[in-house]
Amino acid sequence: MKRFIRHVALLLAFALCAVPAAQADEELTHLISALANGKLKEMPAKISALEKAGNSKIVPLFEALSAGTLFYRKADKAVFITRSSADGITLMAPLTLQEQGVTTKKSLKKIKVNNKLRRQLKTAIANLTLLSPDVSLRLSAAKELFKSSDPAVLPLLEEALHQESDASVRQAMQESYAAMTLRTQHASQQHRLDAIETLKAMGNQQALSVLTGFVASASEPEERDAATSVIASINKRLARWSVAQNVWYGLSLGSVLLLAAIGLAITFGVMGVINMAHGEMVMIGAYTTFMVQEVIRNSFPGLFDYSLAFALPLAFLASGAVGFAMERGIIRFLYGRPLETLLATWGVSLMLQQAVRTVFGPTNKEVGNPDWMSGAFELGAMTLTANRIWILAFAFVVFAVLLVVLRRTQFGLEVRAVTQNRRMAASMGIRTPWIDALTFALGSGIAGMAGVALSQISNVSPNLGQLYIIDSFMVVVFGGVGNLWGTFVGAMTLGVANKFLEPYAGAVLAKILTLVFIILFIQKKPRGLFALKGRAVDL
Amino acid sequence: MISKSLFTKLGPQSIWIVALLFLIAAVVPLLNLALPESHPLHVPSYLVGLFGKYLCYAMLALALDLVWGYCGILSLGHGAFFALGGYAMGMYLMRQIGTRGVYAHPTLPDFMVFLNWEELPWFWLGFDQFWFAALMVVAVPGLLAFVFGWFAFRSRVTGVYLSIITQAMTYALLLAFFRNDMGFGGNNGLTDFKDMLGVSLQSDGTRAALFSATAVALGLSFLLCSLIVNSKFGKLLVAIRDAESRARFLGYRVEHFKLFAFVVSAMIAGVAGALYVPQVGIINPGEFAPANSIEVVIWTAVGGRGTLFGPIFGALLVNGGKSYFTAAYPEYWLFALGGLFVLVTLFLPKGIVGVLSQLRSAAQKQLGQRASAETGAKPEAAE
Amino acid sequence: MSPKEKQPLLYLNGVSVSFDGFKAINNLSLVVERGEMRAIIGPNGAGKTTMMDIITGKTRPDEGEVFFEGDTDLTKYDEADIACLGIGRKFQKPTVFENHSVYDNLALAFDEDRGILANLFHNETRSRRGRINEILDTVRLSHRKDFLASELSHGQKQWLEIGMLLAQDPKLLLVDEPVAGMTDAETVETANLLREISKNHSVIVVEHDMGFIRDLDVKVTCLAEGSVLSEGSLDHVASDEKVIESYLGR
Repeated sequence: MKRFIRHVALLLAFALCAVPAAQADEELTHLISALANGKLKEMPAKISALEKAGNSKIVPLFEALSAGTLFYRKADKAVFITRSSADGITLMAPLTLQEQGVTTKKSLKKIKVNNKLRRQLKTAIANLTLLSPDVSLRLSAAKELFKSSDPAVLPLLEEALHQESDASVRQAMQESYAAMTLRTQHASQQHRLDAIETLKAMGNQQALSVLTGFVASASEPEERDAATSVIASINKRLARWSVAQNVWYGLSLGSVLLLAAIGLAITFGVMGVINMAHGEMVMIGAYTTFMVQEVIRNSFPGLFDYSLAFALPLAFLASGAVGFAMERGIIRFLYGRPLETLLATWGVSLMLQQAVRTVFGPTNKEVGNPDWMSGAFELGAMTLTANRIWILAFAFVVFAVLLVVLRRTQFGLEVRAVTQNRRMAASMGIRTPWIDALTFALGSGIAGMAGVALSQISNVSPNLGQLYIIDSFMVVVFGGVGNLWGTFVGAMTLGVANKFLEPYAGAVLAKILTLVFIILFIQKKPRGLFALKGRAVDL
Repeated sequence: MISKSLFTKLGPQSIWIVALLFLIAAVVPLLNLALPESHPLHVPSYLVGLFGKYLCYAMLALALDLVWGYCGILSLGHGAFFALGGYAMGMYLMRQIGTRGVYAHPTLPDFMVFLNWEELPWFWLGFDQFWFAALMVVAVPGLLAFVFGWFAFRSRVTGVYLSIITQAMTYALLLAFFRNDMGFGGNNGLTDFKDMLGVSLQSDGTRAALFSATAVALGLSFLLCSLIVNSKFGKLLVAIRDAESRARFLGYRVEHFKLFAFVVSAMIAGVAGALYVPQVGIINPGEFAPANSIEVVIWTAVGGRGTLFGPIFGALLVNGGKSYFTAAYPEYWLFALGGLFVLVTLFLPKGIVGVLSQLRSAAQKQLGQRASAETGAKPEAAE
Repeated sequence: MSPKEKQPLLYLNGVSVSFDGFKAINNLSLVVERGEMRAIIGPNGAGKTTMMDIITGKTRPDEGEVFFEGDTDLTKYDEADIACLGIGRKFQKPTVFENHSVYDNLALAFDEDRGILANLFHNETRSRRGRINEILDTVRLSHRKDFLASELSHGQKQWLEIGMLLAQDPKLLLVDEPVAGMTDAETVETANLLREISKNHSVIVVEHDMGFIRDLDVKVTCLAEGSVLSEGSLDHVASDEKVIESYLGR
């Protein structure tokens, strides 16, 4: 629908610039009103007539007809494109798209359409748009034609190809031309061999299906062999790309795990505190995002694209503050008693969950994606979605910043000093309780920022934290406690391993296998991948 | 001779508790069944069911205490052993339904017919026999504990690491039992049971009998645990808890002792689960949820770990509180439970029973000191 | 004497071990005879505790051989096995079972079957009780018999731990810094205690306290940077230039 509106808007702009051709319009209007009366059987002819008479101005009407939003008024048989709105049905003139008032559904009658007609409409739209001055319109039309098998379009496509100046549109047209050539088998043998080459270069699933269809019906052995070998090569290429795609999915999952676990790597890994409420810190971050977006939606709608930029620091502060309070109020009394810490923080996690449930309700909250977070682009034969790319980048940045903070700043130095030798650090004048509280707040704050990122890809509910807590612990334990790089490698390894298992085992079984693997792994290396060795670690 | 040495080993306190549990097992069904409802001492059936459930929880807490309180193994996966025992019993009860299911299939449970399965999977064979199911109730949790503990203890996974992987274990089982093709009824679990050992599960008599069985089972478990912790073996468990490497350098195979305690504990948990299922009428994968297992830990902690009566007391107390809260203030139950976790760990690390016995021994010591001061034998000050 | 008894009790040859590139023990060789008491000195980080870790099976050496009673290769066994072979160890930090009585600590250490069943169905015997009471006398803790170990002073805990070694009745005792944190009077007592013990047992003592070493009056080995720097009587070692350089100072 969004795309439709965009098309419409573009067309509108175009229409305004175009020199009015009054006479042609009159003929069009006549043909349009003919749609209101008549049988389904007569429709193909009418559509062809419209297509011949019209130009790209008729495209919105075709699209509306195809989508079932083209109606005529029972009273005067005037044809309208309609849009349902809050107070009824808005009528729009079929060519100019100007609003013509609102009416009720009862006064209208839908112009019937069936699948056969839809196919015809599709081709017609493609025909009309292939020559449109708008590049994106031509591109989508060219791509649309790939699936068409109407030989009648071929001459039009040839003509369009001849005129085309934009390289990407040209390529799309060539590919569609090749597909149609093979599907219709109308062209000469040389044409068909060329077409096979074109599809080879295209090398994706679509090309594969065209070629497979061609091999099944091809009569010339030479062409069949050529196509068969191209199919093999495409399959090989796709297999390679699917590995790449799996790696990407794996890294993407890994970055989510890294985000969820990295705060834990500080509280558990560096400080040795088991924070079972870590997941709730993530949840608080996600709810902060929700609140920020609520405020923006209600008061500053223009800033929506920047909502995450506001949410990040706020989430860091909110979760950090909760973490700080937890450390001062509970955890500091339990240092050296890790099992008790585990239980007390679990208690906190129950209370935080219930608090959120009481305030925000138990249901999922809608957190929107800003424009720059939505969409996708293609790389070879794989699809990368924008939000996943951003989250991967964000995870890396957070990780890098954290490394720098711990290794290069005074605060980091003090943190490392306290964790290595508390009493020595204290006698050097470091305020160890203060460092403890700040470190814990830092770990919690990072969890909050992770919550902002996770709100973009998962449901925001009071259970959000519970979904990630076990995985986070697995990552930290697997990577080796006390080692940030271990957490990094652990997250990425588990993410990729999980995604490679999924095609064979299914999502749930893959997860179970990963858990079992970690359980066994810990038996082999109780201190994780990157364990700190030394004498008398446990004495 | 044997009974005499048993008595001296257990001490009077344990004997009293076991006797009390056996008494409850005998008297409560009588008060429920023999007295008319109008009688002031009549125990209503719903209470019999409710307390039957609590006693199962108490048994689970007792099992956890054996490994946590005495051996320092904080298992966050004991719910898994409970649930496995429950599933073993549930499978028996499923097979007892016979042709009375919705699809009236003679051998296949309804959910298998629904999934278009042709025949009973191999792991369901034998569960039509009570003795086999009863064996599996202890064997399956015991085996899982053995395999898991064998790997974990041998490679010296201890402390929070062990806790975290036990949690991962029950989480993995949760995910696995949710799957339909595991053959355990998936999401819905096993339910719609009809009868057990030929008598209807719905009748008051059966419910009272199940209550008695649970009280007796709890009494026997208590007896078993008492014997273990009061033996030299039990002292060694505590020794391992406090200074594992010392015990190892004295020549004890620490991993074997831990494993033994862990397996015994898992078996007790399995029996508790098996008694639980017929009383509540359902077992589903939710029982594997990590949160359930952690709740068991808090029962034990509230009552007092490292004492055998503590976990029983704690389980009854917390679950009684839960029943009250979820009826009166459902919104606040999680606040109360969460607060309990925090308060107990901060202020009552030994639990209620632990604090009471500490007070008592402190009072005794003071008395003893006063007595020795009076006789003039000054105790040497510890330097 | 049988051929086995002619062999030295403990024999370390060319032992090396490193942690993350740091060589904690470097080509260390050491021989301890039956009935001998040996004192080991050396600066911090010389590898004294790591050497004990290797002897007791806690750490596996990267290379070299460790033999007990001539032909028992200790590198093939773990802590529990080695303890049962007859090597007892006292830790640097006194490690006793804090929640057990002094008596129970000794009873748990007592040399008897370490199996699960034997411990489940264990019965106290008169001879065992008598033996434990003797040990209580030896380590001067009879009057603390029923106290919890956690109620003992630091020095008493050290003695209790030595008592546990005696109860274990090993052929070789490894004693790591027995007088750390003790008063002077306690230090003298401990020296007497160890000399008493060495009448029936072989002992290796690691200690920094030179006065204490002098009281023991035994052969001394000085370790530095993971290997033997000097060996002989205390006077010999103390006058060795290398020892003065790296440990005693001028």
